[in-house]
Amino acid sequence: MATLNLQHIDKIYDNNVQAVFDFNLDVKDGELIVLVGPSGCGKSTTLRMVAGLEDISNGKLLLDGKDITATPAKDRDMAMVFQSYALYGHMTIYENMAFSLTLRKENPNVIHKKVLAAAEILGLTSQLNKKPAQLSGGQRQRVAMGRSIVRNPKVFLFDEPLSNLDAKLRGATRREILLLHKRLQATMMYVTHDQTEALTLADRIVCMSMGHVQQVGTPLELYDEPANVFVASFIGLPPMNFFDVTVGNGVLNGQGFTVKLTEEEKRTLAAYQGKEIILGVRPESIEEGTEVRVDVQNNENLGMNTLVHGYVANGGPRIVAKLKGWKMLKAGDGITFSFNRKHFFDKETTNAIRGGK
Amino acid sequence: MNLNDELAITRDRLRFIKNTQSANLCYLAILLNVFYFVSIYKSDVGTYYYNILIGASIVYNLVFMLAVFLSSEEVKNYNRKYSYLLGVIGLLQIARIFIIPMRAHAAKTVVNGKEVLVMHGGQFTRVCIYLAASAAFLLAAAAINIKKCNELSEHMNSIGAQNV
Repeated sequence: MATLNLQHIDKIYDNNVQAVFDFNLDVKDGELIVLVGPSGCGKSTTLRMVAGLEDISNGKLLLDGKDITATPAKDRDMAMVFQSYALYGHMTIYENMAFSLTLRKENPNVIHKKVLAAAEILGLTSQLNKKPAQLSGGQRQRVAMGRSIVRNPKVFLFDEPLSNLDAKLRGATRREILLLHKRLQATMMYVTHDQTEALTLADRIVCMSMGHVQQVGTPLELYDEPANVFVASFIGLPPMNFFDVTVGNGVLNGQGFTVKLTEEEKRTLAAYQGKEIILGVRPESIEEGTEVRVDVQNNENLGMNTLVHGYVANGGPRIVAKLKGWKMLKAGDGITFSFNRKHFFDKETTNAIRGGK
Repeated sequence: MNLNDELAITRDRLRFIKNTQSANLCYLAILLNVFYFVSIYKSDVGTYYYNILIGASIVYNLVFMLAVFLSSEEVKNYNRKYSYLLGVIGLLQIARIFIIPMRAHAAKTVVNGKEVLVMHGGQFTRVCIYLAASAAFLLAAAAINIKKCNELSEHMNSIGAQNV
């Protein structure tokens, strides 16, 4: 397997539109890196540059320390799995999986062993004589993965491989990819706009917006210590609540509410005394309490939890809370919340004010 | 299956790959038959070919091509029965040498008051080669398919599979 280093990579198209700005990343051997971000943020472009399907405008790409910036895609020893499977409809599953090795004129018996081994891993042994049209979407995507596995590449690249699948199949295939990664211990780069995929699959996540890397870290770091408002709002479902507040003497004063600060929070915000900041609170960090009075707009019962949508009383901002248990609330009801875990962001830079636990 | 046994792996491959070798030989046989068909009749030999045989020959050529093409699809999937059909058609190709070419080679006809050979030596040799080669390809396709069917059948029995 392999290490991958992306150094100061830019992508500038012929019409001078820049899609990726100064992308830096060191992918460790056997690591599963997930690039996540909204549509158009440059994550797929970055992956395609790694694969060699797009030219790198500036910067260097190193595979195992060797510069492959200008190496053609076919010589990079990377395998890519696409959203659209890209299987040959007239070939059987066996032939699809064997195709790349057949092109390389490998020994047919060696090809056979590799295809059978990959099919075994992916649970496709009984499907090998079928055509892609006879398989479900999830099975087709597994075939696409199998085609990559038989090549035994240094790096696996996945470009939104689950986007064509329905929700149930997506969950199952996601687990299969995770098991596959554990089994192969392969270096993988995975692109998705689905934060659930990112959080469940990744060893590390690269969160991108408008061509810029916003934060690189473990799923827990991105969830628990978001670097800025963008990451905080993108990671987590439902998204984090944001309130404009002023730092007072041991309290935060927002529109229609005041919340007390802990000693640690006071120290974190010492430099912001009297200034406006952004307070971020995840819906799951809200519980019934005594500080913030909310007028309920509606609620969604999810079985284990209830999502309460409402507005802070007296014309305050919108708020979403995820409460434990099944709550019977209706529009117009009043409920009072407290915030457990607070995140603070600088209002001008939108960067996190660190230490605010 | 022992993954170190090359013979077993070669045989196991038959489960997933088609018998394109036999099928390709069938296509070649069809091609050679077309060469035969377009090169046998000549218009400068008077009325020699104006008989029922020419009609039968045309119909047989159409049936031949259809039968061989269908058989090629079947042997691709290791259908043993169609090997026998290919074998019979291959033998018929040899027999055809004695029906039109041999007779035409021995026959003479009068054109513009001169007696000429209906089929001269060069043309006779050519059409005989087309038919003989076509027959050889068909017989080879049949033999290869029977051999592979036997191997596949043996292999499937050895791994305890229910269906071949």
